[in-house]
Amino acid sequence: MSRPVPLPDALSAPYWEAAARHQFVLARCSACDTFSHPPDVTCPACHTPDPEFRFEPVSGRGTIRTWTVIRQSFLSGLEIPFMLVDVQLDDHPHIRMLGRLLDGPEAEVAIGDPVSVAFDDVAQGVAVPAFRLEPRA
Amino acid sequence: MTGYRARNQVAIVGCAMSEARRRPTEPLGVTAVRTARAAIADAGLTVDRIDGFTSTSLFPSSGDHASVDGLSIVSSGWLARHLGAKPAYIAGYEGMGSFTGSIQLAVNALVSGSADYVLIHRALHNPAGKYHNTRTLEFGGDEQWIAPQGFYSALPGLGLVTTEYNHRYGGTREAMGRIAVEARKNGARNTWSHWYGKPITLEHYLAQPMISDPMSMLDCDIPVEAVGAFVLTTAERARDLPNRPVYIAGAANGYPRDHRLKMHWTLDEIMAAGRDMADRLWASAGMGRGDIDLPQFYDAFSPFVYIWLEALGFCGEGEAHALVSDGGIDSDRPGSLPVVSGGGALGNGRLHGLPQVLECYRQLAGRVGERQRQVETALATYSSPHYGGAIVFTNNPAS
Repeated sequence: MSRPVPLPDALSAPYWEAAARHQFVLARCSACDTFSHPPDVTCPACHTPDPEFRFEPVSGRGTIRTWTVIRQSFLSGLEIPFMLVDVQLDDHPHIRMLGRLLDGPEAEVAIGDPVSVAFDDVAQGVAVPAFRLEPRA
Repeated sequence: MTGYRARNQVAIVGCAMSEARRRPTEPLGVTAVRTARAAIADAGLTVDRIDGFTSTSLFPSSGDHASVDGLSIVSSGWLARHLGAKPAYIAGYEGMGSFTGSIQLAVNALVSGSADYVLIHRALHNPAGKYHNTRTLEFGGDEQWIAPQGFYSALPGLGLVTTEYNHRYGGTREAMGRIAVEARKNGARNTWSHWYGKPITLEHYLAQPMISDPMSMLDCDIPVEAVGAFVLTTAERARDLPNRPVYIAGAANGYPRDHRLKMHWTLDEIMAAGRDMADRLWASAGMGRGDIDLPQFYDAFSPFVYIWLEALGFCGEGEAHALVSDGGIDSDRPGSLPVVSGGGALGNGRLHGLPQVLECYRQLAGRVGERQRQVETALATYSSPHYGGAIVFTNNPAS
């Protein structure tokens, strides 16, 4: 079954190229140095119209803010159920990521649980950042 | 903002609501023309007097469906042409605060003198197949950041918000169920409702499977084909018309503040935007929450009722689920806050804010028959506080 894949554009291409190599990068504004996700045509932080985003590796460690288990989807090509987690990045707390929890839909999770970024290989040469549970402190 | 000079300067003077059907039996535009004509007649007016048209035509925010004016959407321009009207002013509201926002466009047009009588309508289409379905497998633009993970449409976003709410404050499925049961009870009393005569029990609700935890199908409104229309004019002109005028006392909209992925709503942002909107709403209306006799909260997804109760301060943050569990929104219980007494969206169908405004108008105009309440002020909300809006109405502007 073919899964939904991203269609990269000029702005997003470096993010998806890095993901394909299982490297997690985020866009950083050249004017104000703030990381943003997703990048936009202007910088969401300083609003410069010339953000000239560069993509820099970041740790990908975060904590679960909330989650949902998808048991019915409007999208084609997905095996259900699966769990999506809303992750606040430890090093960039203004950024919240949405990703699959690769531990599976039955995983026991709680708000505040630590996770780290992992990669979901959805097609040949295409990987999507996802998350895995880390041991609780 | 320097103060709401339009306070009580504009009134709703008539309305009409079509039947809410699961599937179209005629082109949506035809239903819109019929409903608009009925609203204009209800106001004691004729089409040639209507010189302003405002609306919003937002249609499924995700999915493969194309928008075709007159079939899947009905713009104000389309409606004016097909009514044979001679408009002086036509405007459409952009964005998700759509129905309350287009009421504000009408108010602005009337107070400025751009139009004398404004028809505002909302036409909702239910396309063949599933509402948000897509066969697309490659996602660009905003959706490249969410669809590959399987995040799509508003539902999983509300699942995330509701999980956070329930874990933070101890909310339960039973409490969510009481919202759905209450809305369906009230909708079952509306002859035009898709759910007319079809209330549900809490047991039935709790037996439903999850579709995006903790949301089941019964936490979501059902897509329908329907049109509602209202006629607005200035307070001065309203005095010469047959129905009791219902005045627009105040209005406010909310807007997103954080940079997020498409449809990724967070509980903290929603509540912060809601508190800010509440301040502007009370300032514009010259009232506070204690002055509102009849709040009507948007409920396309059941947890919106918690969000609006708390954001507008009708209870403390984290307390709405307990208020609901204790029967606090039961429309048949004296002293309650009957926030879905009109049946809302869960009890009538996916109508993007129409049922809330309809209930406010009809109650304040004294036009609901045996359901009539003794009320002077009402409040309708739409969408989420960080995208939507709220309108305060009164039938007694002197008080």
